[in-house]
Amino acid sequence: MRFEEALRIVSRRTGGKTRTVHLFCGFVPLHLETFLKAHLALRFPEQNIALKTGLFGDLEGNISQAAAEGAEGSVVILEWSDLDQRLGFRTSSGWSAQTLSDIVLQVEEKLRRLEAGLILLASHLPLALAPPTIGLPPFSYLPPSQAGDSELQLNALLAGFLHRLASHEGVRIVSAALLAVTSPQSARHDTKMDLRAGFPYTVTHADALAELSARCLFPASPKKGLITDLDRTLWKGILGDAGVEGISWSLEGKSQAHALYQQVLASLAESGLLVAIASKNDPAFVEAALRRPDLLIDPARIFPIEAGWGPKSESVGRILAAWNIGADSVIFVDDSPMELAEVAEKYPGIECLRFPSEDPGAILDLLWQLRARFGRNEIREEDRLRLASLRASASLKEASATEAPADFLARLGAKVTFESAAGDPRAFELVNKTNQFNLNGIRYTEAEWKDLLRRPGAFVAMVSYQDRFGPLGRIAVLGGCMRNDLCYVDIWVMSCRAFSRQIEFQSLNWLFEKTQTSEIGFQFKPTDRNGPLQTFFAQCFSGNTPPEGEVVLAADSYKNICPALSHQVEDKWKM
Amino acid sequence: MENVKEKLTGCFALVFPDLDPAQYETASAQNMGDWDSIAQLRLLTAIGEAFDREIDFEEFEGATSFEALEKALQVQ
Repeated sequence: MRFEEALRIVSRRTGGKTRTVHLFCGFVPLHLETFLKAHLALRFPEQNIALKTGLFGDLEGNISQAAAEGAEGSVVILEWSDLDQRLGFRTSSGWSAQTLSDIVLQVEEKLRRLEAGLILLASHLPLALAPPTIGLPPFSYLPPSQAGDSELQLNALLAGFLHRLASHEGVRIVSAALLAVTSPQSARHDTKMDLRAGFPYTVTHADALAELSARCLFPASPKKGLITDLDRTLWKGILGDAGVEGISWSLEGKSQAHALYQQVLASLAESGLLVAIASKNDPAFVEAALRRPDLLIDPARIFPIEAGWGPKSESVGRILAAWNIGADSVIFVDDSPMELAEVAEKYPGIECLRFPSEDPGAILDLLWQLRARFGRNEIREEDRLRLASLRASASLKEASATEAPADFLARLGAKVTFESAAGDPRAFELVNKTNQFNLNGIRYTEAEWKDLLRRPGAFVAMVSYQDRFGPLGRIAVLGGCMRNDLCYVDIWVMSCRAFSRQIEFQSLNWLFEKTQTSEIGFQFKPTDRNGPLQTFFAQCFSGNTPPEGEVVLAADSYKNICPALSHQVEDKWKM
Repeated sequence: MENVKEKLTGCFALVFPDLDPAQYETASAQNMGDWDSIAQLRLLTAIGEAFDREIDFEEFEGATSFEALEKALQVQ
């Protein structure tokens, strides 16, 4: 981004709310501030961005005070001179051997204090920490081609500090490796500006560092599913021509890039990504090929497998239905531009990526793109359960087709568990990614979420489910606050994996009983995507979806429409 | 020369978005509270990009008014 563009972006005002973010560094933030604000504004186009930079020169003090201030997150930029001024370019205290030993000791001590402050800050708000991006000054007598003792000690101290911090929830370390791609080391330091004005970065480096820090602090929601082609994509060769043994993914077969693709898919599938196949092939051949023992992705992790001779868009349609997610949460990978175009035309929301089978370098770029689209901060139990529960839903659908729904549900042996969701990061994740069964579509920042939980009379319940088809895990969140005798609900989401099991009815039953209230008020808003919630509300409110706003459901009228429920209820939650 | 004024006006609009365009030509660090050393560095960086030239900040140190900046840019 050019500086001019950044200035243009930061001067825009929107009518939306203001997102406040800290930017802490040990120097005058100057262009870094402008670029960070611009990149955050691009990330949140409907919000105004306010950056708080604290007191100049007091990095530690700013970090320790920030925890008490209202903000959505913090970006902390470290440079060596913040760890010891003598490692910067603006002091003249000498770099004798004795001084260097002292510098190492001081850096160790400073890192210890910073670590304590950053852990405290991260317990209140998420933070992105960028390790030093400007190289060490020429303090050693050794030639630059040789790493010296002090340099290695400093790097080891820094590595330990970053490693310890990275294990804390809420701390995200900005990737030095990715920064090196967008901002080469040799083009980072503006020595003249550093000495003249105390701002150490070139304009291009300030832009790159700001962009990466913004992405690290507020990563985009990961995509949920990947649909892959087989021939010339998952493997080299055409299955129908070469046969099961003729296709390859190995160094020997000059097809190692396909093996890398399989490994990335396997690793992402393990983290909860849904993987499906859409292939124009004979289904029997595909089944045989997927049984090959050297396949690097477990075929059990692939669901569904659509092999046949119809248009790819039809296969994609069936896969989306089985997954029950929108096309805009999915990436389709195929080597054929024609197939990609056909699918894109039918599903404009789907992201179509070509597998460049003839170019290993471009394949590696594609793998990095996939990591960027699907990467997530952590893996939860629900991510591991996702595929199993989708298979269970498919089995449930098949089984329920043969008998009356009520009889079928009664034989499920279902158990619904309610417990407190306060402090459970899964609740925050579910609320921010669920679209279909979502009371109002409101998304929250981590700071807003924590504020909601601190409201007087606040409650947030987590709902888990399991039946004879297996556990679905934590699949719904129900929250709000008590207002005198009225129970007010402004948070209610349920994963689409849990539909058709009457969990929504059981949740309201539980809430009426738990709160002993005669009415529940809902902060409802119909959105383009919360059709299932609207359908449920139409059942609750005499066949009509209520208008946007606070709608009140009376316990008496709810009893009339609530079906007989057969779940076993486990109540672990205390009001 | 008109080109210099036009580009410089564009830089002022970016760095001082709240300033009335009619006042650009008489603007200076003396009569504008928010024209401080930081704003000067922003302005010079924006000018460097707009004129596609490397700006020597020391050379422009005294150029703290629209008029002085215009003159300095015309000379170079």
